[in-house]
This record gives sequence, C-alpha cells and structure tokens, in this order.
Amino acid sequence: MQQPTGWRNPWLQLALSVVFVTTYELLLKRGALETAHLADRWAWTGISGLASPYVWMAILVTVLSFITWLQVLRYIPLSIAFPISQVVHVLVPLCSWLFLGEVIISLRWCGIALVSLGLAVVARPVAQLEEKL
Amino acid sequence: MTLVSFAIVLVALLGEVGGQLVLKKAMEISNAAGFRSRRFVLSFAAGILLMTVKFFLNLGLLQRYDLSFIYPFQGLSVIIITFAAAIILREKLTLQLTAGAGLISAGIVLVSIS
Repeated sequence: MQQPTGWRNPWLQLALSVVFVTTYELLLKRGALETAHLADRWAWTGISGLASPYVWMAILVTVLSFITWLQVLRYIPLSIAFPISQVVHVLVPLCSWLFLGEVIISLRWCGIALVSLGLAVVARPVAQLEEKL
Repeated sequence: MTLVSFAIVLVALLGEVGGQLVLKKAMEISNAAGFRSRRFVLSFAAGILLMTVKFFLNLGLLQRYDLSFIYPFQGLSVIIITFAAAIILREKLTLQLTAGAGLISAGIVLVSIS
C-alpha cells in the first residue's frame, strides 16, 4: 500500500508519537509534583492531580500520541513500530535527568545503552524494508 | 507477590499485547474497507476495550506494588508483541529484528529495576 507523504508520513507520525509520549510523562510528573501537597480524602486515587494545568496538558498530549500511533499502525508492521516506539525508555530518563534534575545511577545508564543498542539493531531491517516499499 | 497478583500481571500483559494486535488489525481493515465498515468498528472497539482493561489492572497493581517492580513486566511486552505480530498477523520476522527486540526488552528491564 502506498505510504502517504508530508505530515501523514507514518515514520514522521511515529517520531511525533514518541515525542508526545515523552512530553506526556514529563508534564504528568510536573503536575503530580505541583499537586502532591494537596490533602484530600481522594488524593490516593491521583484525582487531586487534576488541579494542575500540567495534568490537563498531559491528557491532551496523550490523546495526540494515540492518534499519531493509529496512523503509524495503518502503514508500519507492528513488529517494527512497537520496538521502535520503546525509544521512550531512553528519552524519558534522559529528559528527567536534563529537565527535572533527577539522578540516573550507572545500572540505569547500562539499561539505556542496551535499549539504544537494540534500537540500532532494529533500525537496519527498517532501512531494508523502506528500500522495498 | 501472591498468585492472584501474578495472574493479574499476566492478564495485564495479555491486554497490552492483545490490544496492540487488535488495533493493528483494525487499522489494516480501515485501509481496505474504510472507517465505516462494521469489521473496523468492532475490532477498534475491542482494541480500546483491551487497552482499558490493561490500564485499570495496571493501576490496581501500582496501588499495591512499587513501580520498579511492576514496570519490568512491561519490558516483556516488546518481545512478546514482536513474536505475536509474526505468528498472528504474519508479519515477516528477521533474526535481526528479533535480536533488536530482545535487546530492547532486556534494556527496559534493566532501566526499571535500577
């Protein structure tokens, strides 16, 4: 099936989906931090998080990530798209380190390196697949 | 971890794998038959339902266990989805793709337990 070009290009949509998921996690963490002090009977459900605009932005972003993911599924085999989407496990810790000042211990750096290596290995068959299309 | 909790972890994992497979199938149907076809609507709804089940089971597990204990199981979904896509959706699986998915799975487990 012919892949769409421009904004609807599934590889661009995959990249957007990954960026949206990463943004979602960071926004949610900020929102959770902002509302952690709120004492409420229902705080244990996480519902008090809705008091933060960051949480609402996160919800919007997660809807966008789902829409882009559906566009990815229309054209890219799941056995390729799903492993690549796991790049979030590299991006989220890196962004938590860069933007939230979280500490990453050496074992976690090893895990990040392992995921990156796996992504590099998956990327080669992708290049071959693209040649055929 | 009790036997019941372990069963919930397994069902949540199956929900994630099943949800992704069914949504993929739904989007393939939409390519061929459009968004108004009965088959698309049914499979899309089933995909959303499976994802929802997984979401709430996961939330329940998170209330009882640490994130670092529950999250590594999610790493397993990568390798399971890759194989399931090959077997059920008949996607072409190369040795390289399998090795890559295995490395990613192992990496996620390592990131989560550290």
